Amino acid sequence: MSVKEFDVLIVGGGLSGLRAGLELSKKWKVALVSKVVPIRSHSGAAQGGINAALGNHPEGKEDTPEKHAFDTIKGSDYLADQDVVMFMTKEAPKIVVEFESMGAPFSRFENGKIAQRPFGGAGSPRTCYAADRTGHALLHTLYEQCIRQGVDFYDEFFLIDLISVYNTVTGALTLDLTTGELVTFRTPYVILATGGFGRIFTASTNAIICTGDGVGAAFRVGVPMQDCEFIQFHPTCLYGSGILMSEGARGEGGLLFNNKKERFMLKIAPEAKELAPRDIIARAITTEINEGRGFEDAYVHLDLTHLGAERIKERLPGIRDIAIDFAGVDSIEKPIPVHAGHHYSMGGIGTKFDGDYCETSLDGLWAVGENAAVSVHGANRLGGNSLLETAVFGRYIGRKMLERGLPSRPSLDKIIAAEKATLDNIEGLFKRWESNSGKKAVEIREAMGETLSRNVFVFRKESELQQAVNDMKNFQKDFENVSLTNISSPAARKFNYGLVRTLELRNMIDIAEVTAFASLWRKESRGAHYRTDYPTRKDEDYLVHSMVIRNNSGDLEMHTKPVKLGIFEPKPREY
Amino acid sequence: MVEKQKFLVYRKNPGETPRYERYTVPLKPGMSVLEALFYIQDHLDSSFAFRYACRGAICGSCGITIDKFPQLACRTQVTAVKSTKKPLKLPELTFGEVPNDWNQETEILIEPLPNMEPIKDLVVEMEPFWKFYEEVKPYFVREYIDVQPESLQSFEDARSIEHLVYCILCGICWTCPVNATNSNYLGPTALAKAYRFMADTRVDDSHRSVIAGRVSKEDGVPACEKHFVCNRVCPKGVKPGTAIQNTRKEYLTP
Ligand SMILES: Cc1cc2nc3c(=O)[nH]c(=O)nc-3n(C[C@H](O)[C@H](O)[C@H](O)COP(=O)(O)OP(=O)(O)OC[C@H]3O[C@@H](n4cnc5c(N)ncnc54)[C@H](O)[C@@H]3O)c2cc1C
Ligand code: SF4
Ligand code: FES
Repeated sequence: MSVKEFDVLIVGGGLSGLRAGLELSKKWKVALVSKVVPIRSHSGAAQGGINAALGNHPEGKEDTPEKHAFDTIKGSDYLADQDVVMFMTKEAPKIVVEFESMGAPFSRFENGKIAQRPFGGAGSPRTCYAADRTGHALLHTLYEQCIRQGVDFYDEFFLIDLISVYNTVTGALTLDLTTGELVTFRTPYVILATGGFGRIFTASTNAIICTGDGVGAAFRVGVPMQDCEFIQFHPTCLYGSGILMSEGARGEGGLLFNNKKERFMLKIAPEAKELAPRDIIARAITTEINEGRGFEDAYVHLDLTHLGAERIKERLPGIRDIAIDFAGVDSIEKPIPVHAGHHYSMGGIGTKFDGDYCETSLDGLWAVGENAAVSVHGANRLGGNSLLETAVFGRYIGRKMLERGLPSRPSLDKIIAAEKATLDNIEGLFKRWESNSGKKAVEIREAMGETLSRNVFVFRKESELQQAVNDMKNFQKDFENVSLTNISSPAARKFNYGLVRTLELRNMIDIAEVTAFASLWRKESRGAHYRTDYPTRKDEDYLVHSMVIRNNSGDLEMHTKPVKLGIFEPKPREY
Repeated sequence: MVEKQKFLVYRKNPGETPRYERYTVPLKPGMSVLEALFYIQDHLDSSFAFRYACRGAICGSCGITIDKFPQLACRTQVTAVKSTKKPLKLPELTFGEVPNDWNQETEILIEPLPNMEPIKDLVVEMEPFWKFYEEVKPYFVREYIDVQPESLQSFEDARSIEHLVYCILCGICWTCPVNATNSNYLGPTALAKAYRFMADTRVDDSHRSVIAGRVSKEDGVPACEKHFVCNRVCPKGVKPGTAIQNTRKEYLTP
């Protein structure tokens, strides 16, 4: 058995993992493992921008972190933890300026300052951008700085399971795809930064690698999944491939039309119109389509043509390329066909009520970025806040850990015994998969995605959610029996992506089950979670975070965690 | 009836000689070549290896050679492969012995990226690629600051490097004939990346000359033979060849 020892293991090379790695590797021995080369991470796909009250925009000179916090908390339908939000919005201008000093190629205003654009749900134009490829710009910049600093990367290593002794994390078991070997990392701190899990749905803007591996691994060692019922459906996904058409397109003036040439947002949100928050627009578009006012019963039009070629080429070049390459539509000449689809998961790895931000209930285990529920997004995330979250809390974790120092650990023999048990378990699992004669992973994955996309979508109701919960139990049974050939020798596991995708499904199926379960439990409508049978918010009963664990008999169990309030009084959320 | 597409696919186990296998994939509307590869992996052979991540032409993982033309698998529509015009003057690319009976009209030929060592199926060794990338020191060396104001850059200056910034490091420009013969050549990607930093007005002069010094060596800009294949195959309009030419003009002529 190969064992590598470090002070910290970071799993994930997206913005959150890299930012934590940059901070920690100044002082400590850090290993950063990622299933793809870090610059391939999904952060690179972010388009629209990153929020910070810089006050650079002529219409946003009076902007402040407090206003940014208010917009975020209102957007979250008051489920975000207010102290954490306030911390994030105060850090925001610092983080953006820091990115710039690292070399991030932001777009500029005529006066040379970082450009900002309006974004949905924001009272001021505060979204800083690099054309419509902001994530790419930031991800490459941060990777460059990590290379400069000599961060120790383990690329194409796949996290399989966490290793723990009693209530303390002691490392993780990984699969080195380049050799096919199983490799153990032994570290007193583990940071999970594995990104989102949109692939549990059939139609998602997320990369194929967004499978929630960190969430699954943490859940298996007893860390709750928090707020998984809250899924952001992006209103404008490209018809066909589901690729995102950034909110920046509406920020720049793009308009939505149904097949009657009506701008339907005018009646739904007379003030904010096309820049109302995402959940509201996603429901509006879905309603238009469901009621027969869509095109081909499948999409509405996102029209940019009136912006003119010049502006589209300057501000939205990426969007234009994508629509040409993946739908054959040049947005300079024709409207883009769009519909709602899964975009962002507000929920994820549960964090502690009384710990430092990002700390989980398993000692030594921290979570950051999209895989964590910190919770700055509550029931609905505002666009431009999640890139911000990654860097703010990546840096925060680094600083906090250095300040705290390395924790004490369980005795070495206990650690070794736990490592062996984890390894034996996985080798046993691989043997079982080889000898099973059940379904292939693809069948289970597709059925799971369809069930969720049908029953746990933009509009939800009891009977459908119950159906999803029942289906998930069957998929779990199918997965027990999943069959996969030739995976027990390292040679056979080398670059074996069939194995990787089955391991990913192992995580996704748990997340999907919890998502359906928590959605059924929450009998109210809040943010992105919209119940047609319970159309109003019920603060008396549900102003709490959902925390789901699997109990000893294998059933899901709902717990709750209070929301940290105290700065802004919960009010109805109107736009 | 579902339409089907035949593929002739390069397969290789580590350490073994390559072979070509035939697969038939049922088509879906708008199906990309990447989706077709997944169909093969999901339904026909789970060990079939290829890299992927974003499926949206932004992560740079999925560069492969399709009908002798290196492209991103995710951005290429299956039904468009046979009708799309290839760039002019592509070098001849050989990976293994393509079966004589390859029907060029109907079968899509799938092979790895050129000029990188194939490891397993379409997965190639990218160590040298990343090594050369790091060698040009593609980063800022300023101190970090986190208090406003940010350092300024004019709208035009920021705009002028945008196309260089958006390189996705896919390695497709390694189709360059120089890469085929000179394994020390830094390659179009690293040289374009170097120019992205040299051309950024915010980079300080001393670091600019460090980069310039490195790319001026024999295995850098001087090794370029001006084929401009890189400009023609790049899926992102980075124009590495033009960046190399500019470097030559601005930094190499005495
Ligand atoms: C299309 C799109 C556009 C977006 N646009 C915006 C925007 O404009 N503004 C904004 O604020 N937000 C945006 N978002 C959201 C934002 O991009 C993400 O929330 C954020 O980038 C997530 O960063 P991360 O570091 O948490 O995860 P990621 O960038 O997803 O990184 C996850 C990392 O974990 C690694 N990993 C995962 N599983 C494993 C495993 N098992 N073993 C080893 N490594 C593993 C991966 O290799 C990867 O390196 C967008 C999202 C999408 C989908
Ligand atoms: S320059 Fe173009 S072809 Fe070369 S690595 Fe970058 S994006 Fe790919
Ligand atoms: S999968 Fe990311 S570029 Fe093709």
